Amino acid sequence: MLGLLPILVPLLAGFIGAIGVGSRFRRLGRSGLLGAACGGLAGGLGSLIFMAPLHFCPFEPERKLIDGVFGVGLVLLGMAIPLGPLLGWTEGEYRRQSGMQPTTRQEKGIFRQWWLAWLLLLPTLTILVLFLYYPGLDTFRLSTLLTFVGAPRSRFVCVDNFTGLLTDRTYLRSVGITFAISAAIVVFGLSASLLIATLAYQPIRGAAIYRILLVWPYAISPAVAGIIFFIMFNPLGGVANYLLGLIGIPRLNWLGDPNLAPWVVIFASIWKQMGYNILFYIAGLQNLPKDLQEAAAIDGAGALRRFLTITIPLLSPITFFLVITNMTYAFFDIFGTIDLLTAGGPSGSTSVLIYEIYKIGVSSGNLGRAAAQSIVLFLIVVGLTILQFRTTERNVTYGG
Amino acid sequence: MSTTAFFMMNTRRTFLAVVASLVAASSAALLGTDSFAQSPADVKVWIAFTDNRLDWTREKAAEFNKQFPQYNVTVEGYGNYEEIQQATDLAIQQNAAPAVVQWFEVGTQRARDFGYFKSIADALGERTEVNGIPVNFDDFIQPVVSYYTLDGKFTSMPWNSSSPILYSNTAILKKAGIETPPATWQEVEAACEKIMALADAPQGCITWPNHGWFYEQWMAQQNAILANNQNGRLKRATRLFLDSEPSVAIASWWQSMEDKGYYVYSGRQRDWAATEQAIQTGTVAMAITSSADAANITNAAKENKIDIVTSRMPYNADMGWTGNLIGGASLWLVKDLPKEVEEGALSFMLWLNNTENAAEWHKVTGYLPIRESSVELLEKEGWFKENPNFFTASDQINNSTVTIATRGALLGSFPQTRDVITQTMEDLMLKGGDPEEAMIKANERANQLLAEYNSLYN
Repeated sequence: MLGLLPILVPLLAGFIGAIGVGSRFRRLGRSGLLGAACGGLAGGLGSLIFMAPLHFCPFEPERKLIDGVFGVGLVLLGMAIPLGPLLGWTEGEYRRQSGMQPTTRQEKGIFRQWWLAWLLLLPTLTILVLFLYYPGLDTFRLSTLLTFVGAPRSRFVCVDNFTGLLTDRTYLRSVGITFAISAAIVVFGLSASLLIATLAYQPIRGAAIYRILLVWPYAISPAVAGIIFFIMFNPLGGVANYLLGLIGIPRLNWLGDPNLAPWVVIFASIWKQMGYNILFYIAGLQNLPKDLQEAAAIDGAGALRRFLTITIPLLSPITFFLVITNMTYAFFDIFGTIDLLTAGGPSGSTSVLIYEIYKIGVSSGNLGRAAAQSIVLFLIVVGLTILQFRTTERNVTYGG
Repeated sequence: MSTTAFFMMNTRRTFLAVVASLVAASSAALLGTDSFAQSPADVKVWIAFTDNRLDWTREKAAEFNKQFPQYNVTVEGYGNYEEIQQATDLAIQQNAAPAVVQWFEVGTQRARDFGYFKSIADALGERTEVNGIPVNFDDFIQPVVSYYTLDGKFTSMPWNSSSPILYSNTAILKKAGIETPPATWQEVEAACEKIMALADAPQGCITWPNHGWFYEQWMAQQNAILANNQNGRLKRATRLFLDSEPSVAIASWWQSMEDKGYYVYSGRQRDWAATEQAIQTGTVAMAITSSADAANITNAAKENKIDIVTSRMPYNADMGWTGNLIGGASLWLVKDLPKEVEEGALSFMLWLNNTENAAEWHKVTGYLPIRESSVELLEKEGWFKENPNFFTASDQINNSTVTIATRGALLGSFPQTRDVITQTMEDLMLKGGDPEEAMIKANERANQLLAEYNSLYN
């Protein structure tokens, strides 16, 4: 059965691609045959993007059902890679033809000599290829292997590293923890930052000094933030428990209690990132048009009302930008804080995905599993960003 | 005018002379290396310390270089055992390996599988001395020799071996009416009951790091093996026994100590610093940690006006005491070295572990004096009388019976197994649960990791 698959799958994929793109071409009034050829080629080759290096292994008869389902997903994803842009292009052409989109193209500054542009890009590209793209692609290769750091041998395990994650309770829990901690960091962090920025923006004596002091924590590395909070929330000698003791609250095991520790991590991460958020919010507040505020004030709107209905909507581009940077921060950059503050504990309650990857890949040295996890994390962040662009962009006002 | 001209001429002449002599010197140097091979052989040694232990080793290396000018030993320090392991992995891939690497005990099977090293026995052959430094393996204390003997061959050079011991705050114990530090789990529990009932009770009674090492020690004490095939020493271990009765006993006792509020958990795994901190500041009455901290803890506590006494690691009275394992790391000889580098490496390792140096190493750190003759030397100097806290570990190790269990297990997935154990203990303490069930689950997980590792080598 597997013998025929490598021929049948691309044929079927090509067929689907041919129909999709061919019909679009005809709608555009171009040669349907040409479209079908393009679509067929794109679909057929696309289906092989993942399957050719994997040798169609997810469909081997001795594999589990879940591997097969994952394999189908990979075929579809592979097809989407060339077909997506192709269909997107036909869609754009169609809109332009039917006058739904302006046909005038923006004049862009372009280099007259194509080679000069490439020459100037070369240093950056070299670094990107060597340190980003090549390791990125190699991650895909690693994710199909059972291999340990330094081990002289490795074994091809098909998609086991991925499908194994579905039944890995520690991993699934870590996904939940990551989303909860990230959401808390973004929501509470941005709310607090906006509040403080509004206060710091007021024309008061010494405002510049306050602002500098507020931005200060951002200059601290996540690791140092982790150490500072580790000392402050140390259950035995930390200042947090000392302060609680002053008002008669018994000492809490901040870093030892699975219910409290995530909050310490959230608090530390928000504190660390706040300077950055405040900086952007102050800049945003300074650029807000005053006339709207004045008009509303004249109409009798109170300060809170003006803040909620004018300031916040007008700040939405900045909020949108900050949501994305804060989310990336919450997904990746809190590693240092967590490593020094809780080391993923207690009881795994602060083991976010990026820390999980570190534990699997570095502590346990299981490179294959770590590679699979990092691909999944990468896809999650890409997915979230796309989702945000889609949903939030509509509600964002870019200037007046 | 004429003086200037003369001076200029003179300068030029000097310049020419300098150039000429430089050329002569460099060609002589080139010839020298070619024909005489007199330059010392570079012997690179990597160790996993960055503190005073690195300084000590460097001083020793300098001393060695002076005594044996044909070698140039250089010592480089790494942050911890995991880091040095990674650095070695990379160095070997890039053909830039050092001559000697300090490798931790649980990485033994891994080192063997990866084939990085040459056994000391093979490098020595039939010789009883290298460069006049006697080999004399019989002088090494038995538990150390047996741990690092694989397939009947002396594989790596023992260096920093330690053993966990109990550190007690004498003032608190006395206040609670306890004369001698508790020797068994049961006695620890009884002592804790008294201590925590004190009007000015400390914040906790006892602590130790949540680290797999302590669990392994308690397994060995109960003469319980960790894995099949004679703890992996007969042939590759394929199954673990984390669900065995002695193992569950450890988990139950540990958990109950936490439940009763006697054991203080810092909330972090492998948190050596918290244990050290707690005992030397008087936050707990007792602590179990490595004998390698004997110097640090005793001195720091003294600064806080706290008197610390050490005793053997408490054991399970229901099962009796068979012995303790050694912990720490040993020095491994990288394979395929040029002959003179290998000789230099061997000489340095033997010299670093000679009677005097092993005794000094013990005094500086608290690591076990690994030679019988070093113990004798220290006794003769009256060291143990003056520093009784340093004697406990040697006493504990030298009284241990060497069995399959106390020789220690060999597992390819040992570091991962440790992670499973510490995670299980953490869950048991913080979230509760049945210790037996938890250990059964832990065993499944650990077996899976072991099978995964083994599948690469079968």
